[in-house]
Amino acid sequence: MVAGDIVLTGLMAVLLVGIAALLTRIENWRSYTPLAGGGTATGETVVHREKPAGIIRWLTTVDHKDIGLLYGLYAIIAFAVGGIMAFLIRVQLVTPAGAILSNNAYNSILTSHGITMLFLFGTPIIAAFANYFIPLLIGADDMAFPRINAIAFWVLPPAALLIWAGFFLAPVTDNMIEPARTAWTMYTPLSVEQTNPGVDLMLLGLHLSGVGATMGAINFIATIFTERDGDVDWANLDIFSWTMLTQSALILFAFPLLGSALVMLLMDRNLQTTFFAVEGGGPLLWQHLFWFFGHPEVYILVLPPMGLVSLILPKFSGRKLFGFKFVVYSTLAIGVLSFGVWAHHMFSTGMDPRLRASFMAVSLAIAIPSAVKTFNWITTMWNGRLRLTTPMLFCIGFVSNFIIGGVTGVFLAAVPVDLILHDTYYVVGHFHYIVMGAIGFAAFAGIYYWFPVFTGRMYQRTLGKAHFWLSMVGTNLTFFAMLALGYLGMPRRYATYQFDGAIAPLVQVTTFHQLATVGAVILLVGQLIFVWNIVQSWLEGPKVEDGDPWNLERDGMLDREFEWFDEQLEADEHERDPSLLADGGQDEQTDS
Amino acid sequence: MALFGFEKDTLLDLTVNVIPLGIILFFIAAFAVFPAFGTDPVFSGMQFALMVSMFLLLAVLTYYAGRAIENAESRQESVEAASAVEEPPGEVTGLDDTGVEDGEATQE
Repeated sequence: MVAGDIVLTGLMAVLLVGIAALLTRIENWRSYTPLAGGGTATGETVVHREKPAGIIRWLTTVDHKDIGLLYGLYAIIAFAVGGIMAFLIRVQLVTPAGAILSNNAYNSILTSHGITMLFLFGTPIIAAFANYFIPLLIGADDMAFPRINAIAFWVLPPAALLIWAGFFLAPVTDNMIEPARTAWTMYTPLSVEQTNPGVDLMLLGLHLSGVGATMGAINFIATIFTERDGDVDWANLDIFSWTMLTQSALILFAFPLLGSALVMLLMDRNLQTTFFAVEGGGPLLWQHLFWFFGHPEVYILVLPPMGLVSLILPKFSGRKLFGFKFVVYSTLAIGVLSFGVWAHHMFSTGMDPRLRASFMAVSLAIAIPSAVKTFNWITTMWNGRLRLTTPMLFCIGFVSNFIIGGVTGVFLAAVPVDLILHDTYYVVGHFHYIVMGAIGFAAFAGIYYWFPVFTGRMYQRTLGKAHFWLSMVGTNLTFFAMLALGYLGMPRRYATYQFDGAIAPLVQVTTFHQLATVGAVILLVGQLIFVWNIVQSWLEGPKVEDGDPWNLERDGMLDREFEWFDEQLEADEHERDPSLLADGGQDEQTDS
Repeated sequence: MALFGFEKDTLLDLTVNVIPLGIILFFIAAFAVFPAFGTDPVFSGMQFALMVSMFLLLAVLTYYAGRAIENAESRQESVEAASAVEEPPGEVTGLDDTGVEDGEATQE
């Protein structure tokens, strides 16, 4: 296990040295070929009409489409990091004694996996779609505050570095600063008593990412309210914009509270305040504050993906979304009710049973708006002319996984069931069906659906379908096994599980853990295919000639973003300019 | 039928939020009639405050969202009607060459 740690540390060091070497070799920051060593043979330089060229363009851009692409790249990198962490967790649990990691390394990776996936992948991938497509969908020229938009993105890379700081700093500080081992919930008193400064860095990173998310939310609200084109009003605003509006309102109310709680925790750790000490506010205060943020966070992550599916699924069903307004009103209902259910994460803390009962009531009520959407999606497909393209497959996968994730959640909302299943793998299985099976799938659907728009090229369809089927099988194998593990009483967060066979059937537990790991391997293969497909198709895929690559016009469902795309194509053809469509500006090459 | 000033179609759309409102109302009534864990001024107060506040917030937001969408729809309809045959009621565009006010026209 120690050897495993050394290997991981070595890998991280190689990565860092590689990045440093890459940066030192860039000679011309405005060139598209930063490693060419003095430019091309002809000594040509790049000039521009609207934007600077090369890396400078990406560092200074305030174009919503460029920022959307930056968010997307950032989120995919975070997804890869979080995914590798998840894979290490699954490999560790193949044997009861733990296969590759020490307990400390396991706890570090478990903590970072959660935080990375929720804050560094989930929120940014949604912001990526929203930045690129909301101004196009509502007919705005750009976001309401383009510069705030840029700073909201640029606080994220330092946030990620701070959150992962312990991994980078442990080898060079002789383990003085280690990765946080608090789990993503950062429950006190554990998070107060860990003296490791890596926890402080992680808290600061989280705070920074919250600042970025809040700035983004303000921007989306202002954009959707004030920047709509004249003929877009509340009656015909698209569903993705509705969900982004609701999500942004949730962010506005939830993230500042997380920020405040984080500051209190930092003060408890460093200034000896007693917000969460037994003699002060008590450890449960943290849980109340954290979950008052944390439960809306769940909906912050799931509402826009629901909007994506509501937007994309009808396109390949040949029918308009059934009950469009049901979806709008139920989205708003989820937004409100999500602030009244936080203590269902705390049923087993010994809180007053009367309070527990009222949180159960609201938790059961919030299931209805989510279930309504499921019926809307199914009814939209009913008797429709389905076209099983890759984005559609991911939408159907979303609905299927969301049903399992949702129904298991309804059980957990009931106090008696929760008291038995609390802190078991059942909970882990439940929320992974939502975060991977639903949110992840919707993100993939969005990437494939709009791939022609932001790259000007088409992805490889066979690889896309392989990605879907591997993801679908992998997700269900991994997370259904977790539901079973929960019923067997396997506690969550454990690095090893060598409990007495008389208490629980260890052989069965081990088998289900191994099944979950097999599922994780399948998922990993699927995601490798995804990355390969995206990168290769972006560079070499067939160019899209038609402004309506999905043949949506036939059903009268061509939205504004594809109309915009068509205009771009025509403009390009007119100017005989081969530059990429995703570029807001047009680059020219001249000899200097 | 014009409950709360909404048209029938809008009311039908709003039923989607009436169901969670109904569930919360059911639990409020159930906990009031059968207080299984006894009553306590502080905790029972918080218990009902949570459910009632959620009920009210959801009801108010649903009302205003319904109002905003219905208003936008009626504006859209009147604009469509205007472009097809006539001016929307109460709107003076200066393009009407009949020389008759809207109100008079409808009376005739």
